Amino acid sequence: MSATGYVAVAAQVAVVAGGAPLLTGWMRQVRARLEGRAGAGVVQPWRDARKLLRKEPVSPTGTGPAFRLAPLLLVAGTAVVAALVPLAATRTPVSGSADLILVVALLALGTVALALAGLDTGTAFGGMGASREMTIAALVEPTILLAVFAVSIPAGSTNLPAIVAGTIDHPARTASPAELLAVAALVVAVLAETGRIPVDNPATHLELTMVHEAMVLEYAGPDLALVELGSQMRLAVLLGLVATLAAPWGVATGGSPALLALALALLVAKVAVLGTALAAAEVFRAKVRLFKVPELLAGSFVLALLAVVGSYFLTGEAGR
Amino acid sequence: MNPAASALLLTAPPAVPLAAAALHAVAWRRAARGARVPGPAQWAGLLGPAAIVGCAAALASYVPGHGPVTAYGRLLRADGLSVWMLLVTGAVALLALAASPGYLAGERAAGHTDAAGTHRYYTLVHAFLAAMCVALLAANLGVVWVAIEATTIVTAFLVGHRTTRASVEAAWKYVVICSAGIALAFLGTVLIYYAARQAGISEASALDWPTLAAHAGRLDPAVTRLGTALVVLGFGAKAGLVPLHAWLPDAHSQAPAPVSALMSGVLLAVSFTALLRYKAVADTALGAGYTRGLLATVALVTLALSAVLLLAQRDYKRMLAYSSMEHMSVIALGAAIGGPVAMPAALLHVAGHGLAKTVAFCSAGHILRLRETTRVGRVRGLLAQSPALGAVFGLAVVALLGLPPFSLFASEVGIVRGGFTGGLGWAVSLALALVLFAFAALGYRTGRMVLGPPVAAAGPPQALGVTSAVPLVAGLLACAALGTALGPLSHLLTAAATTVGGR
Amino acid sequence: MSHGVYAQLLDLACGVFLLCAVVVLWRRELAVVVRVLAVQGAALAAIAAVLGGHERRWGLLVVAAGVGVLRAGVLPYLLRRALDVGAVGGGPYREDVSEGRETRPVVNVAASLVVAALLVLLAYAVARPLVALDPTPATRALPVGLSVVLIGFFALVARRRALAQVVGFLVLDNGITATAFLAASGVPPIVELGVSFDVLLAVLVLYVLTARMRAAFGGTDLDDLRELSDR
Repeated sequence: MSATGYVAVAAQVAVVAGGAPLLTGWMRQVRARLEGRAGAGVVQPWRDARKLLRKEPVSPTGTGPAFRLAPLLLVAGTAVVAALVPLAATRTPVSGSADLILVVALLALGTVALALAGLDTGTAFGGMGASREMTIAALVEPTILLAVFAVSIPAGSTNLPAIVAGTIDHPARTASPAELLAVAALVVAVLAETGRIPVDNPATHLELTMVHEAMVLEYAGPDLALVELGSQMRLAVLLGLVATLAAPWGVATGGSPALLALALALLVAKVAVLGTALAAAEVFRAKVRLFKVPELLAGSFVLALLAVVGSYFLTGEAGR
Repeated sequence: MNPAASALLLTAPPAVPLAAAALHAVAWRRAARGARVPGPAQWAGLLGPAAIVGCAAALASYVPGHGPVTAYGRLLRADGLSVWMLLVTGAVALLALAASPGYLAGERAAGHTDAAGTHRYYTLVHAFLAAMCVALLAANLGVVWVAIEATTIVTAFLVGHRTTRASVEAAWKYVVICSAGIALAFLGTVLIYYAARQAGISEASALDWPTLAAHAGRLDPAVTRLGTALVVLGFGAKAGLVPLHAWLPDAHSQAPAPVSALMSGVLLAVSFTALLRYKAVADTALGAGYTRGLLATVALVTLALSAVLLLAQRDYKRMLAYSSMEHMSVIALGAAIGGPVAMPAALLHVAGHGLAKTVAFCSAGHILRLRETTRVGRVRGLLAQSPALGAVFGLAVVALLGLPPFSLFASEVGIVRGGFTGGLGWAVSLALALVLFAFAALGYRTGRMVLGPPVAAAGPPQALGVTSAVPLVAGLLACAALGTALGPLSHLLTAAATTVGGR
Repeated sequence: MSHGVYAQLLDLACGVFLLCAVVVLWRRELAVVVRVLAVQGAALAAIAAVLGGHERRWGLLVVAAGVGVLRAGVLPYLLRRALDVGAVGGGPYREDVSEGRETRPVVNVAASLVVAALLVLLAYAVARPLVALDPTPATRALPVGLSVVLIGFFALVARRRALAQVVGFLVLDNGITATAFLAASGVPPIVELGVSFDVLLAVLVLYVLTARMRAAFGGTDLDDLRELSDR
């Protein structure tokens, strides 16, 4: 605990905040290479951010505090999540409050803040994007909660470090049907939550299809840089969460600094692998039509529900 | 009875029709290469049902006095119930196969079928008979299920014997609804097997009905309850009871007339017999109240539905089909009441309904050929055009209405009496009211068909041929005879009712 | 096989088995659905094999092999052929792309997935007395069998394509067989043989009827079946 714990928390936040743009750059690079383009390079998102931060802050007339606070809330909320989730170490000063439901709520807070900001602009696109985002969020949140619930049943707690530590102690749990189903449901939910294909296309500004981009269309300058950073951090944290739940090996359960360094390296590797897989999948998949999205999310909801029910009648330990 | 004799008596009923089916299958292949239409050889088809009736009669003289007969290490078994049902099956099949040559001659004359089609018809009908006999004689409930599902498969192409839209539709609905419905019965069987295994019965005899019935008291009540409900639903589907009855009117109206007769007259009852066997097990395990409530509810709902649909019916083959549902629900009500009065009456009702419905469907086939329509409204003045046919059809419906001297009168009275003494008076009163509706609808529509002057479109007067008339009249006479006196059959009937709890 | 590994393998096979039933409701392309059905058949065979290996009943392994051949091989192959005939070889129907897809199911896909979820809960509730009778890893998985039965029944009534209905019937039947395996290591061999034979014949009959339906109606949309009614 003590010093290493604080170091671990700081390191997690720093790695997520610093690495998130790199992750996005890496994924864009993978896509570009698979599509036969040269690509802009891994650090391009940082260059974009630097350019944006140098610009003068501008906000549309008639917008209120909701518009101005949303980027801050998004980034701050995600940073808190990055501190809470046991990405690298399970024994940290905040591990007692690292509850899964709190994590989900913090992520939802960012979504809602952005949707309110989209509405606040009073433009057609902002409103449209916000309404679409809320439609998706309304379907995603129950899925995430259920999936998380399924994962927490074997551990008997919704405390994330406890779940991760439990899984490290009982590696067989990761192969149980309930856990597999929950992870599958979580992956679909994460894709929807971070606005990736097949739910949303992060690279489009086509009026008919965009969801996330429509909400943030009015942002410019430093605010836009914050919004982009927030979205990138969300993706990084959620991929990290999936990696930590599905394959928790390497996460430091003790207090040794060497283990912590190893855990951080492993975290970067795991998230990079997940990001590569996601980017590669996006090359081969098309975005589904908006009104087919509920079908996809209903599917993932059922997977999550099966995971919960299944953990009662499949694993002998939970069925007692 | 010595083992050889019992083996013979239990093997012959399924084996003879199966052999006939095989012979016809060979001839079918040959006919496809342009062989002649079979002539008098068709009458050899009566051998199968004759064998069934003969074996059943021999068993009937032995079983009531000496108890069940078994063969092949208790794989086949004949108790009172199976002998009674075998007798009914044989009798109805005898009538239906006797009516077949006439029916097929008419079909060939109209160009609907040819020599190959004729052989295909006989192949499938004989296989159908064999499957029903196996379903009646098998001691293992799993084998009973397999045989009843086999009847669905072999009759699929009899229902869909033409490639018209209506025919394909009826066959599709028939196979899908019956197979899915009866699959539920198999699930129920599996659950009861599970309960039996948990009660310590060995794997080999856990589905053996006598063993199961003897040890039913040890079955887990909760599992048995679930299994029995599924079985009632599943075999109820094949017996034409709600909620999976939708195939019945379609299939019965599209099948060839003698096959409709067989399906309506015995197939429904064979499936119901299987249900009765589960009922006997469940009654011991759970007390009589559970299946009684289940069956009475299903019966009353079916009765109400068929009465309503009979009122609105304009197609006489469908009308007969709904009348089958009505009678099956009366039988189910009789079984629900149980006891020494109602249970034999229900089994007698099976026999009376089988005979009367066979006559009704076969004569409906003749009417269809004569008038080329299945609309009630376009068939007027049958008596004037073809007195014999009109009289036979009219009398068959009179029998179905439950009027004396036909046996359905006696059996319905028995069921009502049993109901009032057995504590199900309310159900019986309700059923009587509903039967009255059905009575009015059936009577009114048949009256319009049979009586009055013939419609202009009707052809010249036509006499019913002797070969066609004999089976119809014989069926009516048998039905009336059953109604007047049971004679030597009364022992068998008592034994049959006793087997499934009619004490 | 140690007890833990046995339970783990059994759970895994059951999970795949249940998942396949849900995916059958999820996907519209009949070709995909038929492939999923084959996977489900393999999972069913795996359940039987795991049980047979655990109880050291070699007869059960033979049954598992038979079940695998029938339900992962023969039946999907038949459906696949019926599908190909409708999609490619059917001459005048070549244009009709909707033949290969469940374009407008009676209950839309999102709703049917939610129904599937409710059916799983129902199966869990219904199976409680079954599990309570003899709680072992196998009987504890009984709700899986019952859920698949219910989902199959639902697919049967909620689908409009003839072949989708056949798939529903087969899912229903797979569920029953799985229930039999999980509850009592399968019904006696003679019954199992008869049941398999019946299922095969029923699918053959439906296969022929599908061809006839194409000839008579020009397609396999079950909504066209409205010749017979009480009017």
